[in-house]
This record gives sequence, structure tokens and C-alpha cells, in this order.
Amino acid sequence: MNPRKDLLTIGSLSTEEINTILDSATAMKDIFTKSVKKVPALKGKSVLTLFYEPSTRTRSSFEVAAHRLSADVTTFTVSTSSVVKGESVHDTIDTLMSMKMDYIIVRHKHSGIPAVIARHCKAAVINAGDGAHAHPSQAFLDAFTIREKYGEVAGRRVVIIGDILHSRVARSTSCILKRLGAEVAYMGPGPLVPLQKHTGIPRFTNWDQIFEWRPDVIYLLRVQNERMDAPFFPAGDYHQAFGVTEERLERIDDLNLSIMHPGPVNRGVEICDAAMDYRNTLINDQVENGIAARMSILYHLTPQTQNND
Amino acid sequence: MTNTYILNATWAPTGEKCDICLGPGKSSSFEKLGGLRTCDAEIQPAGSMSAPDGARRIDATGKLVMPALFDLHAKVEVPGRSKRESVSRTGQAAAQGGVWGMLVIPTRGFMFDNYATLDSFNDAVTQRSATEMLPAGTISLGAQGAQQAPYNTLSARGVNILTDGDRVPDNLLMLHRAMKYAAELNLTFAIRGDVPALTANTYMHPGSTSYALGLHGTPACAEEIGIETLLRLAEDTGARLHIQTVSTAEGVESIRRAKARGQAVTAEVALHHLLYTHENVGDYDTTFKVTPPLRERSDCEALLAGVKDGTIDCIVTDHTPCTPFDKKQDFISAPQGMTALDTFLPALYTHLVKPGKLSWAELVQACCVAPLSIAEPQDSESDTDASVPLLLFDPEPEYTVTPDHIVCGTMNNPQIGTTLCGSVTLPLQ
Amino acid sequence: MPTIGKDAIDAALDNWAERIAVGRSSQGGELALIGLISHGDILAQRLIQRLEARGIYARYGALDISLYRDDFDMKQSKPALRSSYLPFSTDGLHIILVDDVVQTGRTVRAALNALFEYGRPASVQLHCLTDRGGRELPISPDYSALRIDAPSTAKVTLHLQETDGCDEIIYP
Repeated sequence: MNPRKDLLTIGSLSTEEINTILDSATAMKDIFTKSVKKVPALKGKSVLTLFYEPSTRTRSSFEVAAHRLSADVTTFTVSTSSVVKGESVHDTIDTLMSMKMDYIIVRHKHSGIPAVIARHCKAAVINAGDGAHAHPSQAFLDAFTIREKYGEVAGRRVVIIGDILHSRVARSTSCILKRLGAEVAYMGPGPLVPLQKHTGIPRFTNWDQIFEWRPDVIYLLRVQNERMDAPFFPAGDYHQAFGVTEERLERIDDLNLSIMHPGPVNRGVEICDAAMDYRNTLINDQVENGIAARMSILYHLTPQTQNND
Repeated sequence: MTNTYILNATWAPTGEKCDICLGPGKSSSFEKLGGLRTCDAEIQPAGSMSAPDGARRIDATGKLVMPALFDLHAKVEVPGRSKRESVSRTGQAAAQGGVWGMLVIPTRGFMFDNYATLDSFNDAVTQRSATEMLPAGTISLGAQGAQQAPYNTLSARGVNILTDGDRVPDNLLMLHRAMKYAAELNLTFAIRGDVPALTANTYMHPGSTSYALGLHGTPACAEEIGIETLLRLAEDTGARLHIQTVSTAEGVESIRRAKARGQAVTAEVALHHLLYTHENVGDYDTTFKVTPPLRERSDCEALLAGVKDGTIDCIVTDHTPCTPFDKKQDFISAPQGMTALDTFLPALYTHLVKPGKLSWAELVQACCVAPLSIAEPQDSESDTDASVPLLLFDPEPEYTVTPDHIVCGTMNNPQIGTTLCGSVTLPLQ
Repeated sequence: MPTIGKDAIDAALDNWAERIAVGRSSQGGELALIGLISHGDILAQRLIQRLEARGIYARYGALDISLYRDDFDMKQSKPALRSSYLPFSTDGLHIILVDDVVQTGRTVRAALNALFEYGRPASVQLHCLTDRGGRELPISPDYSALRIDAPSTAKVTLHLQETDGCDEIIYP
């Protein structure tokens, strides 16, 4: 197996690689329980976070992960106002190469930007979310969380609920879960759920269908109002029609289903307050596992910076 | 000066053997090809012409002779190069692809909304290009869609066709008034069927590829609605209408209905919409980023059927040079468009004629006769010296297209790296 | 290729356990055997069983030292990490690091770094199944169970029942 330089999508990985990264994440998580929560694996390596879209959670998760591997972390601040043009990214690449970074963690609102950077950089590039395309580190932490809860991912049923059309999380997480043998379905407002013939994933549009399908995990997506030019559905409807309401929570409790959410949560939109305290809500586990998964990802990538210089 | 004789060629429009005599003043005219006249060439049935001793004789057994192609949709401006170089390179590329003349679509550097730009462009063409380049005027000033361009001035300088290029006028009031005014001048409006409000911030055809890549899809209905709107406006104003780069089966159907009810409308399809689908975008291949986007295989088939039954009048290149730097960007930031002039006739032959999807007669109709009659309408008062040079096409050579084949100045040609058949000799001497 | 079989390995382990038992007689405090993943952990388990038979109790631990290495081959992809198993503080313990083959000493260096993040042991010894020489660091095993007559550059491969299906050592 050749070493992998970049993590851009789940689809580009072999199942073996996916399992290796998940297995290692378990070992990474053990580090958190030690008195010294740090290992020297990436000592002297430099990690750059390049976020063209604001995200405190993913960014700090990657930063903590890099710190725990003893890497040096630099934050490249991109002012949000001057961000939109693709040219700026292209010009930034030259700057990055001069900085001799080993790992670049990039988020951008344009699908495909991390791939462009990866092609032109020797550094290992990690896609921390690009447009509606992919968010592979989220997929790893989700798969890891399900594996931790259920022992294995294979055979589990997961329904992803919300704005699938604009969701990179839905794309990457469904991809990894299917690769690991889970069954995945989508549910959400009609215009926001792509057709099954395009996605290969069963498509539901209401909760009755979901309960009939008998999932193990209810995966709620954040309603991304900021990414739409014109609303796809009347905003006032969402909670009643697609959110986890108090009544639905009772049913979820009866069936002993788990609830996951990539965060940050819109209380009263995707999810009611009570569901946040529900015994099978794995949202906090996801945050903790996010660090372990990202440590594992950093550990397994191989920048090309060492070879030649 | 002795004439050159080409013997034992095949006359592509009919498939009959013929002999050709090349020389100044020689000409043949073809009723069946819309009265098309050949330029400096006389064509006779095989054997009826004997080359005198000493004359230059070319044995063209197995090769085809046909009128050279006319491309109704090409952009000449090569970003980052001078206007003169753009003109000369595009001219060379066209000749290599079997194209002797083209309608030049306005672009930022060639904004044909005033006489000065037209004059300097025409000068550059005269000096630098062996290929005929007819500029299309803009519909609006700067192609901004706000105010009408000076149509009388443009018309007086030989402009027959108006288009805002890639931009579709979204101000219907402006367009309605423009059409009414320009109808008096016999100008043709060349516009793509589109509703900009529906297609803003979309990058490709909605489907499995757009889902996988997380790119917003361009709804096919926008084209249909746009075409229907244009048809109604043209009907109401009496303006001549040419629908540019149809990409959907629904669009073909709209035009078919309009023609069936007797409306005078013409339409074109870009070669790439006949050959490629949205799946060619693959993993963000910016070469295949085009507007309108590449669609489904069923759309390709409907478009080809439209060409064969005359619903779609012509096949065009929609030649759009983009620099490697531009196309190296991410898919959303990269400009749309591909180039096709360099390889036009070999690509048409390899992908359509050779597999039997299109006959030579249909090709000549769609790539020569029809576009020429749209670019230079017969009823215009101008001198009817519109005669067409011939080209010689050898279907035998088979080769892989390398960057060395490409002379137009940019490399966004999807044929690079593929195998094509056929080589073009143009001009004939 | 010469092979050392199961019997010879068993005998070596018996001697090894005996040696540890002897060492314990003059030592107070608690003993822990910490094996280096992979193989070292299995050897440690076998030794602990043999010690138990002699009435000596030792705690068991395992260390994956991958994250502490300084000699990654950057051209090869990394294998999955294994979880270290050290469910106790090492403060005040007498620790024996159990490794299969000691050669450059770099693994041991990494293991010492890893080990000290779990506490401050009273003492640390290094025991190995075999010592191949070729040291690159000032590290030397306190005990080596087997001598192998092969050039120090030759590659020695250890197979164990638990992971590879049989006990054997192969060398050219």
C-alpha cells in the first residue's frame, strides 16, 4: 500500500485504509485518559489550518488533535470579506509552499478547492469541508462513534435527516457508513433530498416512513440557512415537520434509538431541548471522538515534504 | 498560371465521384445546397474533365471534397494575448479544423457595440487571418443587458447577427424593444434559452455527478422556459431569432413545435453537447465546464435527432479559449467553455460520421449550408458573392491529439489525448 | 533457512522466567512486565504465566510505541495503531520491558519515553528474546534469552502461536 498524502474524500480511500484509521483512532482516544495527553508522533511537523469559512468547532478539534500529536499549529487567518474568489486560493498556494508546511487543513465554501490545493502542494492536505462536497474527518468521527456505541458499523441502519442537498456531512458520512456495511437512508423536505437514482440512497420525506424503516441511529443535520440563496422551504415548518419534537423523542426512546448531530445544534429547529439530554444522544461523544479521529487522520497521512528536501 | 486538377475525389454531399479544377474565377453552383457556390473551383462528374499535360494533378482517390465549414459560434479572444494574435491563431486553428469562416461572438476584448471596435477588428482580420471572421454585434451596450447597442451603426458595418455572447438578456422589456427596433433592420437575434434567475450559482447538470461533487445543478426547465419566452417575443416583434447552443431534449422539442407551427426560427447545437454528458465532468474536470452544462445521454440523442430532422439547423464549435491558469482553478471559479476549432472536422467525422450517426450530406448541411445562410441571409441586399472554398478531407490518418496539434492558443480542448481520424487540407491550392 | 522451533523457544522462556524469579528474590515492591507491541506483549503474558507457576505475581502491561518512534519510513504507509494497555500507574513499580528482538535500540528508546508518561517507576530493566547487535543508541538489554548464530545484518523473523499460528524463529 502506498502512503496516502491527502484526505480529500471518503470515496478515494480503500476500505482497508478506512479501517486502519478507525482502529488507530481507538488507540488515540486512550491517550486522552493518560496524565500526559500528548505523544511525540508529529514532533517538529508543522500544521496549518486554512479556513475560508468560519468554523470554531472543526478548527479547534483539528488544532487540539495536532497539539496532542506534538505538531506545531499555525492558523492562517483569511478575512471573511476578501474570500470569495478562487484566484485568491490559487495565489495562496504559492505562499503556503514557501512556508514549507507539512499538513494543511482547509475549509472552503467552493466544492473541490482542497483538491486544487492538494495537486499543487507537497504538504498533506486534509479537507475540513468544501462546499456541499465532502467532510471526511466528520465521516470518520461519526463512523467511530457508531462503532464505539454498537461494536461495529456493519448491519446498523442510520437515517440522515435534514438538508441533504447542501450537506457535505450527509455525503461523506453516508459514504463511510455504507462502505463499512451499514444501511443509510435520507429524510428531509422534498426539495432538499436528492433522488435515489442520483444518490443510491433510499429517500424518505416523513417520520412515519422512518419509524417503519426501523433505524438504529437518527442523524440530524444542521439546517444551513446561510447557504441558500432563496429558501427551499418555509422556515417555520421545519421543527414540526422534520425536527425531533417531544412526541417523536418519546417514540425514539421507546425504540431505544441513538441521536447524532454534527453540531452546532439549532435547538427548536432540528432538535428539541429534551433530546439534548436524552440518554442515547451521542452528540458529546462525537465531539470527543472528533479529536481522536483527527489525530488518527493526521498520523496516517504522509506529506511529501520529507522525501525530497 | 496553370490550374490544379484534383481527380477521383468523392463529392461529400452526394457521395459521387468527381473531378475538380482549381483556378481563379472557376466556380460551380449547387441548387441542392441552397444555391451555394464554390469559390475558385469547378466541380464536374468524374471522367468529364481531363487535365492537360503540364497541369498540376492530384490523385484524390479515397479522399473527400466538400465545401469548407462555417462556424456560427466561436469566440476569438484568447485571454492574455493581443487581439491581433488572437485573430491570427484562431484563423489558423479554424483552417486546421476545416472551417473557412465563422461568426465571432462578442467577448470582453471584442465588444462589438460600436463602430470603432468593429473597424479595428475587421482590419486585424484582413491583415492577420486567412479565415473569414464575421463579427456579431451586441444586443446591449457592453453586453450588460441594460441599454440597446446602436443597431443602425452596426448594421451599416455589415453586422447581421446580434448576441450578448454568454450573457442572456434578463431584462425582457429591453429585449422586447430591441427586437421591435432591430426587426426593421433585418437583424437576427442569437440568444441562448435560459432564465438567469433559475440558473444563477449553478455549475452543472443536476444528477449523480453533481450530487457526488456537491455542485448546484442547472435545471433543464430553465432552457425550455427561456426558449419559449424568446419564441413568443420573436413572434410578437417579428424579429429574426436564432436559438444558440440548445442542450436539452425539452429545448429541441420547443423548437420543433415552433417550426411545426410555421415560425421562422433557427437553432444550433454545440458539438460537445452531442458528444459528452455530465458524467465527463468526473472529478471536477474543468475542461468539461460549459454553459449550458453537459446533460444526459438521452439529451445528446435528442439533439442529434434534432440535427437530422432539421429542427436544429447547425452544429457549432462554441469555441471558447480559456488559459491553463484559469482552468486550473477549482470548478466553481474556473471559466466555462472549451475549444474545438482545431479539431472540428476530424472530431465530427470520428464521432458522428464514421460511426454512422450522421451522413456527410447532413454534415455539410449543418456545418456549412445552414450556418452560412443564417450568417448571411439571402435577402440581404449585399452583393451575393458569398462563395465557399473547398476542402479536401482524407479519412485515413488516425492519430492521437497532442498539445502540438493545437494552434488556437489555449489547451482546453477535450480532444487532447484522444484518438481522431482524418486530416483536412484547407485551403486547396 | 535455519529455524528455531517451539521446544527451543519454550526452553528459553523457562530459563527467562527462572532468571526473573531469581532477580525477584532480592527485590521488594511490585513487579510489572510490560511487553512491546507486537510480540513483546505475548512474550510478557507467557512469562507472567510461568512466574505464577513459581508463585510470583507480576502485573501485565502492553505498549504500542508507534507514536514515539523517530524512524518512520515515510515512504510506507503506517499500520493501524494498537491500544497500549497500562491500567495502573507505574509509580514505584519495578518494571521489566519485554521485547522480541533488540537491534538498533531505537524502539527501546521510544518505549522508555512512552513508559515515563504513565508515572515514575522504581526501576526499569530491558529483557529480550534475542539480541541482534547493531546498536545505534547507548542501550543494552539486561537479559537476552536466546543466542542466534547469524550475521548481525541478517533479518530474523519471529512467529508466535497467538498471532502467526506457530512458534518459530527463522533466520538466514
